[in-house]
Amino acid sequence: MENKQSSSPASFIGSTVIPGDVVLDLSSMANQTIKLGDGLREDRDAISAMKAGTLRCKKPNKYRIESCQKRYVPCAGDTVLGIVVDSKRDDFLIDIKGPALAFLPVLAFEGGTRRNIPKFEVGTLLYLRVVKAKFGMNPELSCTDAHGKAAEFGLLKDGYMFETSTGLSRKLLSSPTCPVLESLGKKLPFEIAVGLNGRVWVNAASPHTIIAAANAIMNSES
Amino acid sequence: MEGRLANAWRLTVNDKNFIKTALLSEIRIDGRKPFEYRKISIKFGREDGSSEVQLGQTRVISIVTAQLVQPYRDRPKEGMLSIFTEFSPMADPSFEPGRPGELAVELGRIIDRGLRESRAVDTESLCILAGKFVWAVRIDIHILDNGGNLVDAANIAALASLLTFRRPECSLGGEDGQEVIVHPPEIREPLPLMVHHLPIAITFGFFNNESILLIDPTHNEEAVMNGRMTTTVNANGDICAIQKGGGEGVPQRVIMQCLQLATSKAASITKQIKDAVEAFNTERALRKIKRHPTSTGVDVREKQNQ
Repeated sequence: MENKQSSSPASFIGSTVIPGDVVLDLSSMANQTIKLGDGLREDRDAISAMKAGTLRCKKPNKYRIESCQKRYVPCAGDTVLGIVVDSKRDDFLIDIKGPALAFLPVLAFEGGTRRNIPKFEVGTLLYLRVVKAKFGMNPELSCTDAHGKAAEFGLLKDGYMFETSTGLSRKLLSSPTCPVLESLGKKLPFEIAVGLNGRVWVNAASPHTIIAAANAIMNSES
Repeated sequence: MEGRLANAWRLTVNDKNFIKTALLSEIRIDGRKPFEYRKISIKFGREDGSSEVQLGQTRVISIVTAQLVQPYRDRPKEGMLSIFTEFSPMADPSFEPGRPGELAVELGRIIDRGLRESRAVDTESLCILAGKFVWAVRIDIHILDNGGNLVDAANIAALASLLTFRRPECSLGGEDGQEVIVHPPEIREPLPLMVHHLPIAITFGFFNNESILLIDPTHNEEAVMNGRMTTTVNANGDICAIQKGGGEGVPQRVIMQCLQLATSKAASITKQIKDAVEAFNTERALRKIKRHPTSTGVDVREKQNQ
């Protein structure tokens, strides 16, 4: 495996890489734990890219490849919008636009016990957190944050849900606030929930506002 | 089985309620009014008789071909017109390859009825030798992308391709005048089909509430609406066909309202199709002029620029 060996990992961060590019040289970084996210693979002494996109690094040591696509690859820690497909005895089956349906355990709610299991009918929209997502396994979801509190997760009532690409949903969630949301917010009052799986939910008082906001966000990705 | 469940398109409870709520305020989720059509774009391929129509997100291709066959015994002086539909799986996750499903057959029937019963295409002019040789015109409709309202888009595509199709010219020859000689297009200019009028299909959607009525439903609206009706009318105001596909019962005055609305929409769509066909024909004629290298043709456009 010859070709490019970068002297420092920082040179590739933020730039576009294609499959096969060696993005990190492990021999120069001893005694460091690195967490690999989506799109990266360990190859003997180096980390190489498996898909085309931009290399991102989250301090202190998490690396992943970001690309804009319609399909969603479930990743632990993501917040997504899921649609209930079926309810079983121990969990709900949720569609999160990934390759497989995800499970939401019946008790994964704040103060959830066997006695107060919520009843979700098929087609209900929920705001969820991905707990576990490994290749080949069905992802596991939760309606609480890592500490067990409800924190805005759960049922989304009324409003309108539409689908976008994963790149747009990441842009909408970026900080500082995305310019589309900022300028829309100055003119229209609305509430919005963005899922990293390419689903966005908008709610407002009047249908005109909802439709204007939804179309503005959809068209912002040209 | 689970893999298929994961890939299906789903409608949430929120969307179902929102579409109906918005319609009560006379607005649709893509910002249209209830009686507004999406933007129609008609494009043609290089060959005669192929067209591609885009209606919002819906895309349909139509190809027209013709073959010399023996006519039916009870109709020896008439040519034949047949329509085949193919719902490609790339258009929608619910389309399966292979045998056409119910929706495909219904779509084919609606277009076929609009063209055949109203005698839009003159089949008698397709007869070359009575009882022996007639032209059988075949329209193949391929659905590329399902964004709702496939019937209307497919109908426009079929009409556009019929108007630009050219069949080879043939003459009778041989010793007893019973042989048909088909002239290749380079020798004799192929002839267009005789199309008397353009039957345009307009689809309506009905909901539980009688006051909600919409035209040209999108994919989401089709999943939510309770009844549909396709009326095929032409610009002269003749009603060529009506198809009501199950669902809610509808009072008579609503049907009359739909028919009146359809006639006004048909006029504008007919004009759009005719303009597109004319632009294609002009371009085709220009291409023919440029094809002859021996003639000292003057490029009219160049002269105008000087």
